[in-house]
Amino acid sequence: MSDDAESERHEVVLVTRPAPARPANPFSVIRDVVSNSVGMATYTATTMTSLIEQAVSSAVETSLNTALDRLVPTIADAIIERIDLNRIVLDQVDLNLIVNKALDTLDLTQLVIDRVDVNAIVAEADIDAVIDRVPIIPLANYVIDEIDLPQIIRDSTSGIAGDAMNTARRQSVGADEMVSRIADRITFRRKARKVDAPGKPNSLKDAFLEELEESTPPVGEGEKLL
Amino acid sequence: MTTFREYRQAMASGVQPSYTVPTLPSDAIPFQGERAGFVTRAIAACIDVVLVIITVLLTAAAWWMISFIVNPSDAAFGAGRAPKVATMVVYGYFLNVAYWTVGWATGGRTIGNLIMGVRVVNFRGERVRWAGALIRALFCTVFPIGLLWVIVSGANRSVQDVVLRTSVIYDWVIGIPGLSRKPPAPPAAG
Repeated sequence: MSDDAESERHEVVLVTRPAPARPANPFSVIRDVVSNSVGMATYTATTMTSLIEQAVSSAVETSLNTALDRLVPTIADAIIERIDLNRIVLDQVDLNLIVNKALDTLDLTQLVIDRVDVNAIVAEADIDAVIDRVPIIPLANYVIDEIDLPQIIRDSTSGIAGDAMNTARRQSVGADEMVSRIADRITFRRKARKVDAPGKPNSLKDAFLEELEESTPPVGEGEKLL
Repeated sequence: MTTFREYRQAMASGVQPSYTVPTLPSDAIPFQGERAGFVTRAIAACIDVVLVIITVLLTAAAWWMISFIVNPSDAAFGAGRAPKVATMVVYGYFLNVAYWTVGWATGGRTIGNLIMGVRVVNFRGERVRWAGALIRALFCTVFPIGLLWVIVSGANRSVQDVVLRTSVIYDWVIGIPGLSRKPPAPPAAG
């Protein structure tokens, strides 16, 4: 392949020959001179024009700005004095949209927390007026129901003031257990006594038994035996 | 826990608050219905016996006073008018049996049982019948020492309980004996 390429290579020999000088044409010389002169004049005129234009415009602009600075506020004031801006805003602007947009972008809660002294506001508030609006009696009833006041009263009266009969019963129940314990120890009984009553006792009705199962409090040994 | 808002809504919708007034001190609930021990039962029996003795003595006093009306001419003042001790003892035993029978067959309790918060039930946990109550009363009156078996029994049973299959249970709530009507259903809780 390379051999083929070698064989197909051609040599080209360029031979230059100087052209013969032409005789100068006087018209063409004149034409060249004229055209060059016209081009120079045009360029100069253009440049001058733009320079003048720049200078004039900057001068005009400066003076105009000065004039505008003096004139515009006066004119604007005069205009504003003569038109009802409120009316225009109310008529032309969708205030709801703007306010909603503003509110959407603001975290009002955080803003209030950051900027407002809530304690100072509360200190200034008329608490009596607030309390007057609070339903005190329903609130008290609610508290009584929630803390189960009847049971508390029952427990405190039976425990502290002492229902004499219940106290005697409690003490005898404690004595029962003590006697049982001593007897069990003497007789080497290790199993707990089977003291469950047979069947369902008559006076302990079903509802009471259910209530008893639900409300059986965790009573310690000492508490139970008093 | 209901919130105040829920509570007010429930009240506004006409729900009545259900006040479950407890009939028992909460520390006495756990052992209700269990078989009573020796001390409680002995005290209850003693109270009953003391009541019977008081009744016998009052009866003797009444007998003595009435004898002045019935037989005013009799010269005897003291021992001659009073009933014989043996009679009083027999009367006392009879009275005791009758008292216990009536007490156990009607409400399951005598006054001593009521004071100590115990009740006599049969093997089903129900009130003993009249015949059962009579037999138990006889047995207890004749053989009171049987109560001592409660101390060593594994199930707090006296000799009478073992033989007659009865139990004496703690029951501090005083029900109404023989009342068959049920209490009104409590209103639905809010």
